Amino acid sequence: MQEGDLRARFRQGDPDAVRSVYRSHGRLVYAVAYKVLGDRGLAEEAVQQTFVKAWRAAQSFDESRELGPWLAAIARRVAIDLYRREAIRAADPIESVPVGAPALVAAPQSAEAIYDVWEVRQAVDQLPPDEQEVVRLQHLDGFTHTQIAERLGVAVGTVKSRSFRAHKRLATMLGHLRE
Amino acid sequence: MSTPDDHRISYLSGEPVDALTPRERAELDELRTLLESPATWEEPDPGLEDLVVSAIAAEAQRATAAEPAPQKTKKAPIWTRWRPRRPAIAFGGFATAAAAIAVALVIALGSGGGTQPLQFAMVVSGTSLAPDAHGNATLTKTESGWRIELSATGLPHLANGRYYQAWLKNAAGILVPVGTFNDAENVTLWSGAPVTQFRAFSVTEQLANGNPVSSGRRVLVGVAHPVH
Repeated sequence: MQEGDLRARFRQGDPDAVRSVYRSHGRLVYAVAYKVLGDRGLAEEAVQQTFVKAWRAAQSFDESRELGPWLAAIARRVAIDLYRREAIRAADPIESVPVGAPALVAAPQSAEAIYDVWEVRQAVDQLPPDEQEVVRLQHLDGFTHTQIAERLGVAVGTVKSRSFRAHKRLATMLGHLRE
Repeated sequence: MSTPDDHRISYLSGEPVDALTPRERAELDELRTLLESPATWEEPDPGLEDLVVSAIAAEAQRATAAEPAPQKTKKAPIWTRWRPRRPAIAFGGFATAAAAIAVALVIALGSGGGTQPLQFAMVVSGTSLAPDAHGNATLTKTESGWRIELSATGLPHLANGRYYQAWLKNAAGILVPVGTFNDAENVTLWSGAPVTQFRAFSVTEQLANGNPVSSGRRVLVGVAHPVH
């Protein structure tokens, strides 16, 4: 489906077009929402609201702009509104709120920070699955190369070379290195 | 021979590297922090796609239903449009309003006071397994729990070991069963879990095979919102 046709059909609420936009951008919208809210259920609620708002605003969408950053901006606003709603709802006495509760320690993320998450998620999604797995185990789970090798049943050298290739791709895609 | 880029990549991939300036390290540390963020890795529930499609379909349906008929003259404000033009109609309008107030008072007094029960409502839509299904539900807080009155069309009658099961889910993803039924046209379900927290509603097709967990075959979904 062509981008222009897709947008027109998205505006009409055509389920195929909505699915298509969700499949191309849903995970990125979710990443933005999760970054702000830090909670699966709330992030999923934010994704739904983001797509509904995008659908409502699709008539005024500037066709010269890219869909992704527009959705990211809507997702950020929706997530911050939900964040505030949850902060108001949690009207417990402050003594009963855990010290690390997000409402106490975290301010809503800046637009730049949100867009960084979007970019990194997009880059990670483009890695081959074996490289993605190594990067995930290394950064999210905090495993060493040796632990990853044991877990995947491959040689440490294989993990190192996959890791090197993966990070080179990421750095290139994200512009952190000169080519 | 290692190039400066190799040093950066090695640092990024967790190797100890000395040949980097503090500025380079700080820049790469930012990227590492993003790679360590759960937001980069968390996957949404696979059912979210159906929820998004249903939510937009419901909005589109609502928008079409609410679209006003074309008018030649400029629309007057709502209070003017409702103001009757002739005394007879005015009296009729007054009588209707008075009767409505009287009925409301009787209902209020009959229910033991002026407090409104806490109520939520939702539009429910079919998933890709039941694209023609749609309907609505009201969820009312009572002394016994939350009463859920569901009215949906487009779902076939299930029997002979097959049935529907309704669920509510909270933000943490915990599912609570709220009842089983054969036909969705006029069903009353009950939830002991508070709808204020368990707001995502779904209906699954189930088999009476001794397995009480959700089959995952969702046919109807919706999200409850407070009625103001």
